[in-house]
Amino acid sequence: MNSSKQKFSKDIIKLKNIAETCNTIVERLRKEVLEGFRRRGGVIGISGGIDSSVALALSIKAFGPEKVLGVMLPEKDSSHESEMLAKELAEKFGVKTQTEDITQALEGFNCYTRRDEAVKRIFPEYSPENYKMKIGIKQNPGNQNLPPIFSLVIVDLKGNEFSKILPINEYLQIVASSNFKQRCRMSMLYYHAERLHYAVIGTPNKHEVDQGFFVKYGDGGADIMPIGKLYKSQVYELAKYLGIPESIIQRTPTTDTYTAVQTQEEFFYQMPFHLMDLIWYGYENSYSAEEVAIALTMEPDEIRKIYMNFMRKHQTTAYLRMSPVHF
Amino acid sequence: MEFVLDDLKVSVKNFIVSTSFADISKLEDDTLIFREGYFDSMGLMSLITFLDENYQTNTKDSDLIEENFESINAIIRFIERKREIS
Repeated sequence: MNSSKQKFSKDIIKLKNIAETCNTIVERLRKEVLEGFRRRGGVIGISGGIDSSVALALSIKAFGPEKVLGVMLPEKDSSHESEMLAKELAEKFGVKTQTEDITQALEGFNCYTRRDEAVKRIFPEYSPENYKMKIGIKQNPGNQNLPPIFSLVIVDLKGNEFSKILPINEYLQIVASSNFKQRCRMSMLYYHAERLHYAVIGTPNKHEVDQGFFVKYGDGGADIMPIGKLYKSQVYELAKYLGIPESIIQRTPTTDTYTAVQTQEEFFYQMPFHLMDLIWYGYENSYSAEEVAIALTMEPDEIRKIYMNFMRKHQTTAYLRMSPVHF
Repeated sequence: MEFVLDDLKVSVKNFIVSTSFADISKLEDDTLIFREGYFDSMGLMSLITFLDENYQTNTKDSDLIEENFESINAIIRFIERKREIS
């Protein structure tokens, strides 16, 4: 082991100097957007979630509230709570907002119909009026070496859940249809960015980028990603420092993509953020499974399996992070 | 019976090779296909769809354990166990 390497502990990713981290990001935002892109400000999609809230607050520090536009992009499946929290955030920071309901655009793409067709092939009794739906990973990454795969869950009006493993064609169709949502949002953000001669400020955090939990040319389509190198727990540290409303900080991160309620942990990550952050840090910085296990009071074998799960997610999603091949 | 079992193995092996673009000469019946990197999530999903459609395995969430899919031998045992149940 490298002698300069810090001993692994639960505090290892805690920001040493929050004000300095914040200033570094703000300076870089200013430099890239104003000098590099030669744009006048930033447009950002705000969902009422922690990531977009922090990205908005950082953008305001970089460009001033008058040079930032927060765009709320609801559709018929998204939660009303998201819009309410986004409004609360915008009011607190005194930033201009615009609401763009993208439901009709999505209907134009047959987003909902295409998704529901695939769901019905698995559950013929499904109808969007009588059931809610979601997809998610049910395996526990700490107790097996199989790669994660998705199951489809439908929930009836009484709250009873029915789950089946998704066959590949239906999985691909459901994901491809749902991705219209993020891609419509990206198009609308670029409309406002071009109208105002601003840049689009992206909101993915480090986990979303590294594990591929974003839509290529959807929420992954932006000019700059100010929190793309921050762990989720560091995003929370910044949120408190920047004065993000407590209602947003306390909210459990959701996907807000499918009709049934679903946390991001349930959909994709399969473990709480604070734990995922630390194990990812250990994985990325080549800490042994034994050293991480001692600090987190877990079994080394469990850590090894989670490392393997991270490696698979990173490799499987490499395509999403690739730029077009020019030749 | 031996002939049928061989057919089954060949069919599963051909599927893995055609889906993973692996070198068939290196794929043994006990090669750990996930640990050795032959398959990722998409590969496992394709494999389960292939087994469900061709061998009526009707794979459930509770079947998603390494022992059922880790190698060609494990997959054959899984198919046979499912046939006994049905």
